Amino acid sequence: MSTRHRSRRDVLAGLGAVVLAAPSVSAQTAPRVVVIGGGFGGATAAREVKRLLPNAEVVLVTDERTFTACPFSNLVLAGMRDISAQQFGYGGVEKAGVRIAFSAAKAVDARARSVTLGDGTRLAFDRLIASPGIDIRWDGLEGYNEAAAERMPHAWKAGDQTLLLRRQLEAMDDGGLVVMSVPANPFRCPPGPYERASLIAHYLKTRKPKSKLLVLDAKDAFSKQRLFQAAWKSIYPDHLEWVSLSTGGKVLSVDPATMTLITEFGRHTAAVANVIPPQKAATIATTAGIADATGWCPIDPATFESRLVANIHVLGDAAIAGAMPKSAFAANAQAKVCAAAVASLLSGAPAPEPKLVNTCYSLVAPEYGISVAGVYHPVGGVLAEVKGSGGTSRLDAAPDVRAAEALFAEGWFKTITHEVFG
Amino acid sequence: MPPLAGRSAADIVRLMAAFRGGTQPATVMDRIAKGFSEAETEAIAAWYAGQK
Repeated sequence: MSTRHRSRRDVLAGLGAVVLAAPSVSAQTAPRVVVIGGGFGGATAAREVKRLLPNAEVVLVTDERTFTACPFSNLVLAGMRDISAQQFGYGGVEKAGVRIAFSAAKAVDARARSVTLGDGTRLAFDRLIASPGIDIRWDGLEGYNEAAAERMPHAWKAGDQTLLLRRQLEAMDDGGLVVMSVPANPFRCPPGPYERASLIAHYLKTRKPKSKLLVLDAKDAFSKQRLFQAAWKSIYPDHLEWVSLSTGGKVLSVDPATMTLITEFGRHTAAVANVIPPQKAATIATTAGIADATGWCPIDPATFESRLVANIHVLGDAAIAGAMPKSAFAANAQAKVCAAAVASLLSGAPAPEPKLVNTCYSLVAPEYGISVAGVYHPVGGVLAEVKGSGGTSRLDAAPDVRAAEALFAEGWFKTITHEVFG
Repeated sequence: MPPLAGRSAADIVRLMAAFRGGTQPATVMDRIAKGFSEAETEAIAAWYAGQK
């Protein structure tokens, strides 16, 4: 809309919104914060805001009563872990003083500052924190739709899809070909496909030794690549083949009826197909106007406030967080920074200058863990890695170091899930 | 992994400096310690030392 066409009334209404926005809360009124999303990011943010502002009314909106965690769900696929170890309720979050609205967020009215739930209830907010996670881009890969996902599971949101892929792997005859398709960046959990490939290969090697996994990748480079490839060469030489973009790995379309994946170079018919499709910020982000043309949400790196809509903050997988990967660890760190910023802004104070840490562990085999870590801070409006920090596990590490990292991975999962849901 | 609980602030500052300098064997803490300045490390150490 050009300024020339805006009526005087529109302009005044716009100014009115700004005037009302600051200072947003009087000392007598309890600040209202609504959080959309019950994952690692949302649950952390809700608890942190309540901890920092005990008089705030904090409502967490999530449509599932049980959360199924993605980290470690690749172990469920490989038969190394029960799905129940991935599942958490919201009792701990409620005990921390957060009210839970078990409903889908259907709409956000930025001007009226309210969230509309599935049953029509409207929740008013002074600040909204959105940590809605991802949705599959159902228009992103020809032939792949919701029906196709029942034949060729993505298992990129943990839960029923994880169990479906597990059942398919279990039911497959020894000798069957498993094919995995990996999308271009960005997507949830950059090392996730390669951990999954490793653990599926482990399952095949130990239980279906005549079978093989073919990984068709839309990229030539990936997270912890040298570590993964060195491990694959020594542990899974007969059970895992990775096909890069430049060697014809990009999947152009799929045909669920014939279990076929079509690349630029040929066709692959699978006994079991795991299609990890292109992704975007969850649909509510588009509805709320906080996602840009890329499908993801641009943010201020110090406060996580949306670049597109004032008073709405976005974090976790849905956000464009610069050098930070889309991981549970990152979402948890971002949620703490975002909550501190929201608490400061609601109190009329400037938001603190943050530093954030991420560590992503991957299991290559039982007792064989590797990691990538980073420390991040805002530089020139984006989250950049602190120079000289971070990096991956050493390529020449001894087996006891790999075993220690596998143990630390488990320790991390226990610690973070206790902190967020305990 | 050595626990943080019960350590003094001075002990944490010394350990973080050793991780940064590469004199303390590490899996991941060397990579993380390098992201923080001495002043930031002191603030982190003071916070952990205050946790019961």
